[in-house]
Amino acid sequence: MRFKSSLIPGGLVSFFLLSFAFLLFFILFISQDQTILTELDPRVWSLLKFTLYQAFLSTLLSVGVGIALAWSLAHQAAFKGRSLLVALFSSSLVLPTLIVVFGLITVLGRNGWVNQLSLYLFDYSFGAYLYGLGGILIAHVYLNASFASRSLLHAFESIPKEKYKLAKSLNFTTFQRFLYVEFPALRSTLLSITSTIFLLCFTSFAIVLVLGGSPSYNTLEVAIYEAVKLDFDISMALKLALIQLSISTLLVIFSANFRDSLTNLKTSHINIPWAEAKSVKRIQVTIITLFALFFVLPLLAIIVDGIGADFSHIFSEALFIKSFLTSIGLATVSSILTVIIAILLSDARRNFTVKHRLSEHKMAKVFSIILAFSGNLYLAIPSLIMGLGFFLLSQRYEAPLVLWSIIALLTANVLMSLPFALSVLSPAMQKTAQRYDKLIFSLNLTKLQRWVYCEYPYLKSSLGYVFALAFCFSLGDLGIIALFGSDDFSTLPWYLYQLMGSYRTEDGAGVALILLAIVLAVFTLLPKLFGGTDAKRNQPKV
Amino acid sequence: MLNVTNLKYEYKNAADLYEYSMTIQAGEIVAILGQSGSGKSTLLDLIAGFLSASSGSIKLDDRDLTNLSVEKRPLTILFQNHNLFEHLTVQKNILLGVSKVLKENIEDVEKVQGILAEVGLEKYEHSLASTLSGGQQQRVALARVLMRREPILLLDEPFTGLDAQTRIQMLDLVKKITIEHNLHTIMVTHEIQDCERIANRVYQMQDHLLVAQ
Repeated sequence: MRFKSSLIPGGLVSFFLLSFAFLLFFILFISQDQTILTELDPRVWSLLKFTLYQAFLSTLLSVGVGIALAWSLAHQAAFKGRSLLVALFSSSLVLPTLIVVFGLITVLGRNGWVNQLSLYLFDYSFGAYLYGLGGILIAHVYLNASFASRSLLHAFESIPKEKYKLAKSLNFTTFQRFLYVEFPALRSTLLSITSTIFLLCFTSFAIVLVLGGSPSYNTLEVAIYEAVKLDFDISMALKLALIQLSISTLLVIFSANFRDSLTNLKTSHINIPWAEAKSVKRIQVTIITLFALFFVLPLLAIIVDGIGADFSHIFSEALFIKSFLTSIGLATVSSILTVIIAILLSDARRNFTVKHRLSEHKMAKVFSIILAFSGNLYLAIPSLIMGLGFFLLSQRYEAPLVLWSIIALLTANVLMSLPFALSVLSPAMQKTAQRYDKLIFSLNLTKLQRWVYCEYPYLKSSLGYVFALAFCFSLGDLGIIALFGSDDFSTLPWYLYQLMGSYRTEDGAGVALILLAIVLAVFTLLPKLFGGTDAKRNQPKV
Repeated sequence: MLNVTNLKYEYKNAADLYEYSMTIQAGEIVAILGQSGSGKSTLLDLIAGFLSASSGSIKLDDRDLTNLSVEKRPLTILFQNHNLFEHLTVQKNILLGVSKVLKENIEDVEKVQGILAEVGLEKYEHSLASTLSGGQQQRVALARVLMRREPILLLDEPFTGLDAQTRIQMLDLVKKITIEHNLHTIMVTHEIQDCERIANRVYQMQDHLLVAQ
């Protein structure tokens, strides 16, 4: 049947991506000294232990705060500004980590707002607690608790009202309600977000790089960066990369079963039929208010500090203009590539999941997993390791370094966005196929007609969302550019990092504001530009 | 005449073997009765080509349809839901699949007006499908049947969910269209009243076997 032809482009893309992963493994493996795998010195052990330790603590805190926040938001549907807060929390997914770090330093740093207020009121300073494990945990909680709360809020709102009514009629306490009604409904989402947050914290780079402070707070990723960029110790970098790669691959395989329900981040204003006791309500309002302050203040700090920056000076800097244009150009190309690849992979994959196609084929599940895995390579191969692979390739095969840098950044950006792009597009494309396949095949519509009359109208706002997501991810990433960044080749996050490193905080504040403005504008406006029609209601809400 | 002869199908995940044999003359309506999950819709999927039979044949007069792909089979299907694209106009929905190019042929566009009159929707040509009621949407889907002029019409419980009066109107419209256009119509239903109203003959699914009543 005609749908079988859609296997070829998606299959080729999948083959290309898997070959790329194989090549990367190969280049890392053949470049390393054979002895290094058999011996792990104490330095590597301590790096590994700290990486796992901070990831564990960050995950525990992020999920704990996320549950408390989602629980409070679910039960306080009438909280003023709730919709705005939920929308802001969802933007945490695309906020460049460096901006978050910049905002956190402005608020919580040694000379930050909190310390200044404390000095003024109590003549006491909390000191430089932000540099070290404390700062790493705070930044991880900032980004991940908001992300967790967004997913968990949907799980709370999906609980049937009847269950609450039944619990109320049985005179449950708030704790019993959570234990017997709410927690069981959260369990699958909790597994998903816990495994994802652990992976994100395990491979966290920019946050640890800036807030880690001393080598005792280094993670594997930062140590790889330092080995390549500062110590020129490629052998050490390879050793660390192979350890990192092995563990993250194991984690991805281990958590693969848990990561299904991340896509549905739809929230609404469902009023839970349970009037909270005053004391519980007070706790919930306090939780929301405290987290809102924690979340909003760093963003506000970026705006306040940024407005005071000398923009005429910033715009007159040739390196800024170069970084700006490079970032926008790379983000645009990366987003276009991400959208195309996500469509091709989703189109091929649905052949093995939609009834009346090849879902009953004995190898259907295997092919479906291969296609899904090829789109989720980034989770197993963090961008810095990818960068290291490209770095080694650039040394083996001669070409201008700028060209290698562009290829490396584009590849990393696309692979970084693909898991999210697929989690949005794949269910949407599957749904259109399930609904309209029979009609379309029986009407003998051509591929072009199918796309124009069916697929595009139903997918366009998802496509807009995926494009915006990929654009923001690409624009804000400080991963691979840390290895390839130079005065000849720079992006906005790299430029901002350089400014922070040279204590040009005023210019840094201006650049951070520019980055924040672009990210928020693209993330909120672009999906709207792609438009909404009646078909919009059939789309996955994200 | 449409001949379905010893058509067999076995679901891979369940070891149940379904078997179908039936004949339909042009201008005739055959109803297939049976409970949910009895295999009624499987027969329509086999005739339409969405499923491949393990053995048996489907022939329209002398033409063997058994191994043809979905798009090459001379038929139109009406499902219970999703017969139309809600964001397209009534006219566009009717013209879908008539031509291979995106731009409509003027003659076809003119033809739509007459067909809409036949199904009682002459004023709705440029309305969006999403603005129509459930009954009107199924009329548009029937109008498409007339536009395509394929000799086989498969109805997979398309009037479930409509109110009693609309349902009767729709059934009568199907009867009229079948007779006037000499269609071979197969209607899957679980409503005996539907069979009594329009079917010439009734088959029933019993223990995975299609049996004439």
